[in-house]
Amino acid sequence: MTKGSNANVSKAQRMVKQQMAAERKRRARILVTVAAVAVLVVAIIVGLSVYRSSKPAAVVIPAGASDVGGTQSGLVAAGNGPVKVEVYFDFLCPFCKQFEATVTPTLDQLVSAGKITLIWHPLGFLDSHSKPSGYSTHAAASAGCASDAAKLKAYGEGLFAAQPPEGGPGLSDDQLIDIAGNAGIINPAFASCVRDAKYAPWVTQLTNQAVQRGVTATPTVLVNGKVVQPPTAEAVTAAVNAA
Amino acid sequence: MPTFRHLPERRGRDGETESVALTRWIEGWPWPWIGTVARVALGVVWIIAGALKVGDLAASGRAVVAYRLFPPSVANTIGSVLPFLEIALGLLLILGLATRLSAIVSAVLLVAYIIGIASVWARGLRIDCGCFGSGGDLAANAHPTYFSETIRDIGLLVVAVYLVVRPRTRLSLDALLA
Repeated sequence: MTKGSNANVSKAQRMVKQQMAAERKRRARILVTVAAVAVLVVAIIVGLSVYRSSKPAAVVIPAGASDVGGTQSGLVAAGNGPVKVEVYFDFLCPFCKQFEATVTPTLDQLVSAGKITLIWHPLGFLDSHSKPSGYSTHAAASAGCASDAAKLKAYGEGLFAAQPPEGGPGLSDDQLIDIAGNAGIINPAFASCVRDAKYAPWVTQLTNQAVQRGVTATPTVLVNGKVVQPPTAEAVTAAVNAA
Repeated sequence: MPTFRHLPERRGRDGETESVALTRWIEGWPWPWIGTVARVALGVVWIIAGALKVGDLAASGRAVVAYRLFPPSVANTIGSVLPFLEIALGLLLILGLATRLSAIVSAVLLVAYIIGIASVWARGLRIDCGCFGSGGDLAANAHPTYFSETIRDIGLLVVAVYLVVRPRTRLSLDALLA
């Protein structure tokens, strides 16, 4: 064998080796990609299955639910007049407490004048603003219990009067039951309704419906389905008189 | 570029001449290490973001609902899936497994987040982005932080795009398996 052909052979061997190495690398890369995609897909499947398994319990709607806007789930707080005044609020929202103090007296007058039906949508917008989270929904669910006892308005006023600060634990079940007692609800059914959070799924549904209806902030007031902005006593009165 | 033909051909790893290996090492330094820092940093951010949300999937769903971009059922599904996806992405990046693919998915997610925050900002909504847990509508006395959230996400996007362009990094499973 000549020196030249020897070199050729080793060159060929080297090329074969390189090709094999390249092939090995290609396979490794495919394997790595497949593994990574599998990891991501498994993560998505885990998320989906956890979501499926955590579907909320069946929605029970409290007594006194209205049917305004096809939502079927706001609660009639007072009156049965022809003009529907809907208030979307959160029991933890300071502006809603302020609204309760400044605008509700006007609404009460419109109720006694037989002009309006006052409908409440207690929401869970600020669930993340209590620690542990979820006070907004829990308080709103307890309002559903008060609606069962036909004392929603008085109980809601009591809740606003005792509004806890944001970032805290919110009111305890015992405190909610005390407030209900002051509003005239002396009923063991109310206590168990609060402790079982019977209407929490309803509040979640109500909150979702509010979002779908375009309610982005609390308090939001609708007079016969039209948003009144800003929701001052004068603006609401004007809207009711115009309706 | 200087060649090193005059040097004796001693074979290193993968049949490279040492001189080529040397050139490569000089060219390579320190980019793969910068890539390692980028990869691990992005991975850690994903894991923190996912871990803070995974414990309360209902809250994570509410955070997505608050963007008002999807019907609630869709938003809740997205909110349940995202934390797991973020943790998985974080693990892949920290391990350095399929770095380019992980970086591409990261970049896509970050672009989606930036669009989400921008749309909320443009519509004048007042929400917490829910990027690292919590989320939902802001309290009356709180101010949105859309600007800093957007800047942060753009910064992370730059890191992700860098990794898409230069996915080869030190201390990665990719390097080990290649």
